[in-house]
Amino acid sequence: MDMLFRNTLGPTAWMIMGAIPLAIFALYFLKLKRQPLEVPSTYLWHRVIEDLHVNSFWQRLRKSLLLFLQLLIAALAILALLRPGWQGETLEGERFIFLIDNSASMSATDAENGQSRLDEAKSRASSLIDQMESSMSAMVIAFADQPVVVQEFTGNRRRLQDAVNRIQPTAAQTDFSGALRLADGFANPQTEQTQEESTDAAPKPQPVELFILSDGRFGNVDDFSLGNLQPKFLPLGTETAENLSITALNTRRGEDRPDQLQAFVQVANASANETTATVALHLNDQLVDATEVKLPARGTGSATFLLSNDAQGTLRAVVDPAAGFQDRLTVDNTAYAVLETGGDSRVLLVTPGNSALEAALETERSQRFAKIDKLSPNDLETPEFNRQVATGNYDLIIFDQCAPQKMPDANTLFIGRRPPLERWQAGESSDTVFGPQIIDWDRSHPLLNLIELGGVQIVDAQTVKPPLGGRVLVDSTAGPLMAIAPRDRFEDVVLGFEIVGTNEAGQRTFNTDWPRKHSFPSFWLNVLEHFAQHSDTQEIHRPDELVELHLPPGESRVEMELPDGATIPMEADVAGQLAFQDTERPGIYQVLRNGEVVKRFAVNLFDRQESDVALQTASAGEGGLNVVKSLEIGYVDVAAEAPNADIRKELWMPLLVLALVVLMVEWYIYNRRVYI
Amino acid sequence: MPGVTDTKLLSPALCAQLERLELVTRKIFRGRMKGERRSKRKGQSVEFADFRNYVAGDDLRQLDWNLYARLDKLILKLFLEEEDLHFYALIDSSLSMNFGSPTKLEYAKQLAAALGFVGLIRADRVRIETLNQAVSQRSPSFRGRASAWRMIQQVEAIQPAGETRLAQGVKNFCLRNPGRGVVVLISDLMDKEGYETALKYFVSHEMDCFVIQVLSQEELEPDVKGDLRLVDCEDQNEAEITVSAPLLRKYQQTLNGFVAAAQQFCSKRGLHYLLANNQVPVEELVSKHLRRRGLVR
Repeated sequence: MDMLFRNTLGPTAWMIMGAIPLAIFALYFLKLKRQPLEVPSTYLWHRVIEDLHVNSFWQRLRKSLLLFLQLLIAALAILALLRPGWQGETLEGERFIFLIDNSASMSATDAENGQSRLDEAKSRASSLIDQMESSMSAMVIAFADQPVVVQEFTGNRRRLQDAVNRIQPTAAQTDFSGALRLADGFANPQTEQTQEESTDAAPKPQPVELFILSDGRFGNVDDFSLGNLQPKFLPLGTETAENLSITALNTRRGEDRPDQLQAFVQVANASANETTATVALHLNDQLVDATEVKLPARGTGSATFLLSNDAQGTLRAVVDPAAGFQDRLTVDNTAYAVLETGGDSRVLLVTPGNSALEAALETERSQRFAKIDKLSPNDLETPEFNRQVATGNYDLIIFDQCAPQKMPDANTLFIGRRPPLERWQAGESSDTVFGPQIIDWDRSHPLLNLIELGGVQIVDAQTVKPPLGGRVLVDSTAGPLMAIAPRDRFEDVVLGFEIVGTNEAGQRTFNTDWPRKHSFPSFWLNVLEHFAQHSDTQEIHRPDELVELHLPPGESRVEMELPDGATIPMEADVAGQLAFQDTERPGIYQVLRNGEVVKRFAVNLFDRQESDVALQTASAGEGGLNVVKSLEIGYVDVAAEAPNADIRKELWMPLLVLALVVLMVEWYIYNRRVYI
Repeated sequence: MPGVTDTKLLSPALCAQLERLELVTRKIFRGRMKGERRSKRKGQSVEFADFRNYVAGDDLRQLDWNLYARLDKLILKLFLEEEDLHFYALIDSSLSMNFGSPTKLEYAKQLAAALGFVGLIRADRVRIETLNQAVSQRSPSFRGRASAWRMIQQVEAIQPAGETRLAQGVKNFCLRNPGRGVVVLISDLMDKEGYETALKYFVSHEMDCFVIQVLSQEELEPDVKGDLRLVDCEDQNEAEITVSAPLLRKYQQTLNGFVAAAQQFCSKRGLHYLLANNQVPVEELVSKHLRRRGLVR
């Protein structure tokens, strides 16, 4: 359908159209009968005519100028009826869904005239909408990490245009499958109905054209059936777009100099050329240091900055590309981090004495995670303990060879005992086992991250059956030896075997050789890291992600200050938990209580997939030409439409406007006698 | 003066205005009768002019007896002569004058009546003629305020007829009126044979001649459009035009050239020329433009 013209009239109509110019001609010849007008004297007029007859050719042209203009108007009208246009596809079908990507990478400014990709996507969508005929309907979905229906199915083109114009860029990641599922829900709404009713009564589902306006910076969607959806991928952006981004910013103590804080910045170069960039680090908006980083093509570079030990506040790292580097996306050139004084989380160890465990918890790295208090089991009954536990003072309580009367308001870890809860007690009498061999452990759980438990010898143990919702972490020949289960908002871990036990003679003996393995201190580090995590400044929050905060005890009414300075009043729950989702923009978010900052967190893009703004390419066929990589949706390849395959541009409107202008000129000439 | 102001030719306001005016001429003409006009000749009046020695044959009534008593010499006292003026209004009453609003003929008649009225008030002889009068057909000559009514009646009776024959009409006029005087020719000068011959008759006749070319607004700025066949109302001559801006521009140039040529022709030969638009009221024309030209004072 790339025809230059598209016929809109039948043969009869064309015959009538063809008669119009002839009629104009005929009328002109009929009109040659001049109107007589009596004048006092033709004396002067004759002299005038004689003078003008000298250039009679021009005279004749002038006389028929009106004829020419009228013929031109007719010709323009006929041409407009032919609907001339060029290039590009036409809208075929009845129903359309426009999926418009507004994720971070769509803010890259590599479209025409320095526009962002989102702007181009919007203009292409609106030119598609312009072509819609009255019987067609369409809907608009914007998607980043969450799909949003901007406009439901409607045939109202103005509303669709408004909806497209409403879409704003975000700094979020891309979740394409969610958008697809949403579109699928609108496109195949009668799925349930067809199952309930007999198949013959079900209306034939209408195919829906799905226009995907995106840069394709997301993974393949495997688990999806297109059904009625007929996808068309309109890629935006260029294959050569360059971008620099900060993909990591974190702080840690130096391995060799624990008294010094280091900030680590990783910069990724998403271009095919090697380049250099300047990375500057600001602490509380004051420049700390800047350094130049060499970045290989499609590689990363890093810079390390030294901070003083007592540095506090907000960190901001800015990467400044070298001159000549066309950085297309600016939102990822800045990264934020929050420096908190470490160790504000507290861990309580209740033990009658366990040198191996104490040693593991007293390492330098352990100290950095949390402040560790120690109690003996005898203190469990004191009111002091009950008061401290009740205020939620501790993040984690480790019960070694003992158990409390009732569960405290904290995460717990039991060693060789079971929690005093009904659901953990099932089948206690028969499950003391001797010499179990560990056969499997859950490597995916953070507690057992990088832990090797093979070859650990255990003398005796109790099998641990987690309650409903729990998870077995370590399995042995005799049954599960470690399990984790949630309780309200806490988690309980039960280790089925003691590390240090007491034999019948009352002597202290080692129940296992685990403390002699490398995995032992690592496990306890994992424990601290897992349970004392809310004090961890390194946690990465992404835009539009739900952030859960644990506020220190105090008034529940707080305010959230956004990076742009706006504040939102919020209410924390009784335990000081606060959930916040309006993290649209990267930056520092602060929780204010009575005007004082009680909590801060940073939101960063940190997504190499989004920051790698160039269109993904794949070599095509025998020529090996680079073409834009197709999307794979449910094992169906959706080839990218040619990037500059334009939508059909129609000319009839300007032609009619031109005809109107000519008509006005003709009228003016006739009335005002303004001839050439 | 009942009756005079009743006509549409002269309104009371115009009459009141005209009564303050008088006709003048720069040339000395011998009047036939005594009039109110001071002549350059010496004669009988109350206005003193000069003294002169008595020579035999002089009228003794003009001797200055007081001087004789003082000087014992016969001195004659001379007075300025007051005499009348011949005023002719020559109206072109051809069909081409029957155009415009008011028609050019009406305008011409009004102008002639106004000037004639001025003459009558100042005791001048006024005669109003048209160009297509035969040689033998004389118009009456009016004198005195009392004749105003008759003069206006005569002017009103003039009807448009015939073609413009300027040369013939002026020649006939000169034959009928051999005497000198002030003549005002009121015409549109649209004679296809030219106006030059006609005006030359005036020059040779030693008349103090005023040429007032009356043109209608339609002729000065034609408001026509489209394809037209123009028909001459006198000889049915036709001209086909397609109105366009250049055509109108050309017409404007031609008209300006025509007017300029007439003016130049007149001024070279000592004639007075005035272009009158029929949209300009007669009062204004008489009191402003003709006064500037020196016809009235």
